Amino acid sequence: MSLEGKLALVTGSGRGIGRAIALKFASQGADIVVNFFRHRESAEQTARDVEALGVKAEVIRANVGDAAKIDELFDMIGNKFGRLDILINNAASGVGRPMADIDVKAWEWTMDINVRACLLCAQKAAKLMEGRGGKIVSISSLGSRFVLPNYTVVGVSKAALEALTRYLAIELAPRGICVNAIAASAVETEALKFYFKEGLVKDSHQATPAGRMVIPEDVANVVAFLCSEEAFMIRGQTVVIDGGTSVGVFALAGKQE
Amino acid sequence: MTIEEQVREIIAKITRVDKSIITRESTFKEIKADSLDVVQALVAVEETFGIEIPDEEAQKFQNFGDFVTYVENKVAQGQKV
Repeated sequence: MSLEGKLALVTGSGRGIGRAIALKFASQGADIVVNFFRHRESAEQTARDVEALGVKAEVIRANVGDAAKIDELFDMIGNKFGRLDILINNAASGVGRPMADIDVKAWEWTMDINVRACLLCAQKAAKLMEGRGGKIVSISSLGSRFVLPNYTVVGVSKAALEALTRYLAIELAPRGICVNAIAASAVETEALKFYFKEGLVKDSHQATPAGRMVIPEDVANVVAFLCSEEAFMIRGQTVVIDGGTSVGVFALAGKQE
Repeated sequence: MTIEEQVREIIAKITRVDKSIITRESTFKEIKADSLDVVQALVAVEETFGIEIPDEEAQKFQNFGDFVTYVENKVAQGQKV
C-alpha cells in the first residue's frame, strides 16, 4: 500500500497511537502534519522520525478542544499545502471520575476534544479534500460500548464519536471521502499508564485471547488499511481492535487454556 | 497588574477560590485545583501572555510561586508560541 504524495494530518501525534499512525503513514510515503497540544518535545521527536523516513513533517500546535484553534490549524495547512488527503482524529482527553463527580466543566472539556473537534476538523478537512477525495478515520475506544471504571464521560464521548462517524460517512460519500473509526481495547501507551493503575493493565493482558495487549502499531496497521484504496467500500464502520477481548466471555470465565 | 496578580486571578477564576488565599507557597491541592483545573489554568496563562508551557515543565511546579516564576521568566525571555 502506498501513500506516495499524500498529505495526512494526525491530531495528537506526538505520542502513543497518533505517533504510530504518523510513522506508519510516513513509511508509506505520506507527508505528515504532526499536531500536538501539551507535549512539544514529543511532537518534534515524531517529526524528526517522520523526516528520517524520507518525507516531510510539519509540526503545528493546536488545542482541538478550542474551535478557534482548529480554524488556525486548518488555515495553516491550507496556506502551506492547499490540500489534505487524510485526517486522523486521534487527539483525545478525558476526566477519569465516577458518574457522580462529573461536573459541567469535565463534561464539556471531554466532549469538546473527543467529539466536537472531530466534527469541526472533518468540516475543515472536507474543504481541503474538495475535488480530490480523501479519508477520515477517528480513534474511538471500547469504552463506547462497555463500561469501564471512572470512564463515564470518555465512554459517552466515544459513543457519540462512533455515531458521528456514521453520519459523516454518508454525508461525505458523494464527495469521495471515506469515513470510518476504530475502537481499541486498552492500548499500551503513556496515556494508559497515566489513566489506569497497574492492575488494570495486567487484567487486560489476562483477558485478551490473542495473548497480549494491543500496541499502537496494531492500531496504525488497521488505520493505514482504512486509508488505502483497498478499503474503499468500508464506510461509517467502527473496526474493533482488541485481540478478541470483546467477543469472548473471558471477563466472566477467565482466559481459556 | 503584575504577572503574579494576573496568574492569581486566572487560577482563582478557574478554581472558584478567593484569590486572597493563594500565596506563593500554596500548592495546587491547597488551592483545590484538580488536574483539569491545572491544565485549564496553563492554557489560560499561555494565551494571556503569549507563551508556551509544556507539560514536562508544568509537572515540576511544586506550588503557585513556581508557576509564577516560570511565567515571569518566559515573559522576560519574550518567548512567543
